[in-house]
Amino acid sequence: MIRYRSVYKAFDVPVLRGVDLTVETGEMFALFGPSGTGKSVLLKTTLALVIPDRGDVEIDGLSLYHGRKDALQIIRRKVGYVFQHAALFDSLNVLDNVRMGLPEDELARMREADVTRRVWDALEIVNLEPREILAKIPSELSGGMKKRVGIARAIVGRPEVLLWDEPTTGLDPVNAAAVERLIKRLSGELEVTSLLVTHDIEGGLEICDRVAMLDGGRLRFCGTPAEFRSSSDPVVRAFVDRAAAEAALDMVAT
Amino acid sequence: MDLPVLSSFVGWFAGVGRAYRTTLVHAGQIGSLSWNTLVAIVRLRVQPREILNQTYIMGIQSLPIVFVTASLAGIVTSQQGGYQLISSSPRYILGTLVTTSVVLELAPLLTAIVLVGRIGARITAELGTMVVSEQIDAFESLGRDPIAILAAPRIIAGVITMPLLVAFANVIGVGAGQITAQITAGVGSEEFFYGARLFWHSWDLVYGFSKAAIFGLVIPVISVHMGLRTRGGAEGVGLQTTQAVMFMILTILIIDAMFPPLLLE
Repeated sequence: MIRYRSVYKAFDVPVLRGVDLTVETGEMFALFGPSGTGKSVLLKTTLALVIPDRGDVEIDGLSLYHGRKDALQIIRRKVGYVFQHAALFDSLNVLDNVRMGLPEDELARMREADVTRRVWDALEIVNLEPREILAKIPSELSGGMKKRVGIARAIVGRPEVLLWDEPTTGLDPVNAAAVERLIKRLSGELEVTSLLVTHDIEGGLEICDRVAMLDGGRLRFCGTPAEFRSSSDPVVRAFVDRAAAEAALDMVAT
Repeated sequence: MDLPVLSSFVGWFAGVGRAYRTTLVHAGQIGSLSWNTLVAIVRLRVQPREILNQTYIMGIQSLPIVFVTASLAGIVTSQQGGYQLISSSPRYILGTLVTTSVVLELAPLLTAIVLVGRIGARITAELGTMVVSEQIDAFESLGRDPIAILAAPRIIAGVITMPLLVAFANVIGVGAGQITAQITAGVGSEEFFYGARLFWHSWDLVYGFSKAAIFGLVIPVISVHMGLRTRGGAEGVGLQTTQAVMFMILTILIIDAMFPPLLLE
């Protein structure tokens, strides 16, 4: 379970103004909202990639900011993070990129053959052919392949929680739909708790158990996809209507 | 006091305050980076392979440009020295002038400035790009320490490489100066090296290498610090790299100016 408690963060201006949100264990949860409203910032507070000015984040009851000293280390082992643009390490090949997803202490105990096996398995899970891409460097991969390698790196350490930061951004509708199916499948197969930040509202509503919407650094809506679609809140309605229009456009495009 | 004067006075004070604050922020972050690097080294968290890789990039790959720079420094010093001194002083003084200038000043300073352009700018741009493409965040999210992986090997390699490059530059600079003295002023090698030995102090070498080691520390520390501070996209990387180069050159010149009163008095 992920619990955000009154998370407040300001850079020059406040971005998060006291967000309270709970994602239940095993749940698939989508977070929507306009650009610049703090969705990715909230996601990054989960791993202390951005430190909130006030508030706390708990993973399975373990407090990240007000708990034991090694809380961050423990939480980072439990959580896999899929970055918006994959964030693969340019100078490393696919094998080395994905192996970085294995915890350091575990890696030190493993035989090289076992490491390669784990990397191989992770790549197969995300529908990539390991034999073809293990030795490639990120610049030799397409956008969709980079995303999948990024996902493989996030899951190779067998996390209990997966954080997805705009996983379909920059992909064409076909690849975006494929990645969405992958997210849904992985969350089921790996039995992980998933928190997904996305602009793709239709996709998020389709694959998630619950959704929330951030607006102006505050939680505007939290509920099921059906409740989101039928919400009378004008801001939520604007989002639902825009999502429907975009979905229609995508269908025309494909 | 009328209002415009007061307003410009307040504006000036605010500017000084901002500059002071910025300096303190930089100093604090550089201190923190240096401390974390030291901790990573002491805890043996730095990969020797990566140190070797960075030493190769900074050292071996810099040899051609250091060769050219040191040669030109020796040639120009020898020619100008010959032009100014040869009619009024003993000819061997050209050996003294070239050797002292190269060892004390030209080799460490010019090599450092070459490294600022070749290595410092590269490190800032590389790390800056890693920041804006979230690769640094990725390291942290995977429980890896970017300081141990990225900063420490570059800093260690800088401290190892710079004195070696300066030693190379010393040899090339003095050699080029001697050949030039022979061609332009007819000063033979025996005469040239007699002059070089006559006023030689072993301390000069210590002085030159101390400068080199400090420059070798300063360049990667500032370039890593500036790279990790990068914000924004490609524009941010460009801006930060330009600022880093200015910052490194200014720091090197200030340190260079501090050396004579500290070590030559």
